[in-house]
Amino acid sequence: MSELFVVGISWRTAPVAVREKLAFRDEELAGALQTMTRDLPVAEALLVSTCNRVEVYGVGRPGSDPTGPVRAFLAHNRGLPDGAVADVLYDRRGPDAIRHVFSVASALDSLVLGEAQILGQLKDAYSVAGEAGTSGPVLGRCLERAFGVAKRVRTETAIARGAANVSTVAVDLAKRVFGDLEGKSVLVVGAGKMSTLAARHLYTSGATHIVVTNRSPEKAERLAAEIDGIAKPWEDLERLLAEADVVISSTGARQPILTKPLFKRVTKARRWRQLVVIDIAVPRDAEPAISELDGVYVFDIDDLEKVVAANLAERAKAAEHAGKIVEHEAGQFEHWLRSQGVVPTIRALREKFAKVADTELQKTLDVLARKEHTPAQQREVVQRLVNLVVNKLLHQPTAALREAPPDEAALRAEVLCQLFDLQPERGEREGSAPVELPVAPGAGQIDESRARKVAT
Amino acid sequence: MSSARALSVAPSPAFWVAVVMYTAATAALLFVLVGHTKLRPLAVGLVAVAFVAHGADIGWRGVQHVHPAQSVREAIGFLAFIITGGYLAVNMRYRLTLGGAAVMPVALVLLVVARLSPTGSAPDDLTTLGRIHISLATVGVAVFALASVLSMIYLVEERALRRKRFDTLAFKAEGAPLEALDRLSLRLIWVGLPIFTVSLVLGAVWVPEIGEAIFRPEYALAALTWLFFAGLLVMRQVYGWRGRRAARLTLAGFGAALLVLTIYLVRRMVGMP
Repeated sequence: MSELFVVGISWRTAPVAVREKLAFRDEELAGALQTMTRDLPVAEALLVSTCNRVEVYGVGRPGSDPTGPVRAFLAHNRGLPDGAVADVLYDRRGPDAIRHVFSVASALDSLVLGEAQILGQLKDAYSVAGEAGTSGPVLGRCLERAFGVAKRVRTETAIARGAANVSTVAVDLAKRVFGDLEGKSVLVVGAGKMSTLAARHLYTSGATHIVVTNRSPEKAERLAAEIDGIAKPWEDLERLLAEADVVISSTGARQPILTKPLFKRVTKARRWRQLVVIDIAVPRDAEPAISELDGVYVFDIDDLEKVVAANLAERAKAAEHAGKIVEHEAGQFEHWLRSQGVVPTIRALREKFAKVADTELQKTLDVLARKEHTPAQQREVVQRLVNLVVNKLLHQPTAALREAPPDEAALRAEVLCQLFDLQPERGEREGSAPVELPVAPGAGQIDESRARKVAT
Repeated sequence: MSSARALSVAPSPAFWVAVVMYTAATAALLFVLVGHTKLRPLAVGLVAVAFVAHGADIGWRGVQHVHPAQSVREAIGFLAFIITGGYLAVNMRYRLTLGGAAVMPVALVLLVVARLSPTGSAPDDLTTLGRIHISLATVGVAVFALASVLSMIYLVEERALRRKRFDTLAFKAEGAPLEALDRLSLRLIWVGLPIFTVSLVLGAVWVPEIGEAIFRPEYALAALTWLFFAGLLVMRQVYGWRGRRAARLTLAGFGAALLVLTIYLVRRMVGMP
């Protein structure tokens, strides 16, 4: 049976300083995969390399343990001496490996629980393996199932609910006030990196106008160009505030610039239309007192982080339920994988039966085609065909049972009883002649010589 | 002038179905609120069944010649029916779980009061004018009630957001965006006020017709209700009032309307004209 394995390194076992040494660039993936399946006892392989993990998922060749060679390969391929990363590399086999792949896909093994990127990264890695020709039936099925499990976990648990980073939380809070951000305008005050991120997030969430203002016009211009916004002079701040729906502030000012007196004028000018102020500057740009004004909602960096922390706590709670789903699905997949061991036998059995049936059917059709038959004669021909097929199929097992050495006969009989659901009558005389179906009743009436030939 | 006559019939089986369904819907909505989100379709389904049963009860009473506009008591039952229907309609667009958990018990209480409170007596010479007056007043107040529910949800959500109560149900429960609640509440008042105005005018014509005194506390309160809502629209249009202030004024107006209904109800219960 082909066994799945995982060899890798992740944020759980190694700091980024180590992980980066093992990381693969996209264009290196196909080559590495082909080397593994060519030179190592690996039948199928996939390599996922992200900022938080470098992992090989694969299927070993029958009768071999590929994890040792793959561990060595990862180090050598990245030009590291033997043993350099031995302590931080982990490997999983069989059921553990399946569970691991399902957990990774469901973002249960991610640094930020429930994050959405890993699924896309796994899908990319899967398509690279497909193009490199190193993904096979077992790995393919495992990954497809993992994507299904990930979807199930996301819809059935709260693992992906609630924003998990500050700029997404800013968007969420704005949505609480406005719902759809379509047509809303965003004013970016100051030109910090965080405000750029948040503004971009708001823009992708539907906000249509982004206006940037900064004490230094050059910086404003630069940032505006970066995020498809318009730069406006700092002197217009009051008017800009009156026109905006969401304000993101992150100046380096030592004193608050969004003061209550200023906002009193602003709220009146905007006729108390709702205004969301996201103040991510430290020290803060907005006086806390402005949130007392009608229609003004102010959130500082602490607020945003509090929401993030609360959401992550909710996700951690959901992880328990998600873990159960993964466990259940991994069990089912393992069951499927185990059943794959008998598939060739099943296929051979079916093929053999089909061949016997086809051959006999063809012969019978020939007989029928030779001359006109009355319905009674047709019935006999078909009856003979059925009996013939049954006899032929049973011939070998019957012989094998009869000729079996005494110590094995009982076992074989038992297996047959189980396979065919038989209940032989107790006390039946051992060795009594088995019933053979009559093959040529009244054969002379149709084509005697032919029938005899077929029966032999 | 007014002779006493029975104003009611025994509640129909549909009434009891509605009572059970309102209770179950409230429980289901509370479960959804505390995180069993999978129960949401069930909760909304229960509200819908309660609504249908409630409607069936009103229909059944109609067949027995007890009409929604016949008395304040019946009107209150009808009011609860419209509130539930309105909630279902808004719920198609926004998931108002917290609002639902608050509104369903109110609808239940209104329905039970309407059906099980002492019948009392009332004038039986209800003219067409009187019926139209009561019908319009009921619809007007029902629309105000819906607007008030939205304003109430607005105030609860707004408070949680302003005070950054991120761990409260008001913040965590799925609700509607503040702007939408504010807008929807305003629209409802625009619909409700003309209806209520016509009903007031008809009432002012009808009351002297049946020979009752024109100066009674409930009439003054009805006028006050009208002033609140009309004033709100003026403040909104002229001074751009919205949000918290508008929501509070809406609730004040509805409070006055509720008082009018209560006075009527108590008056009938104790058998006063």
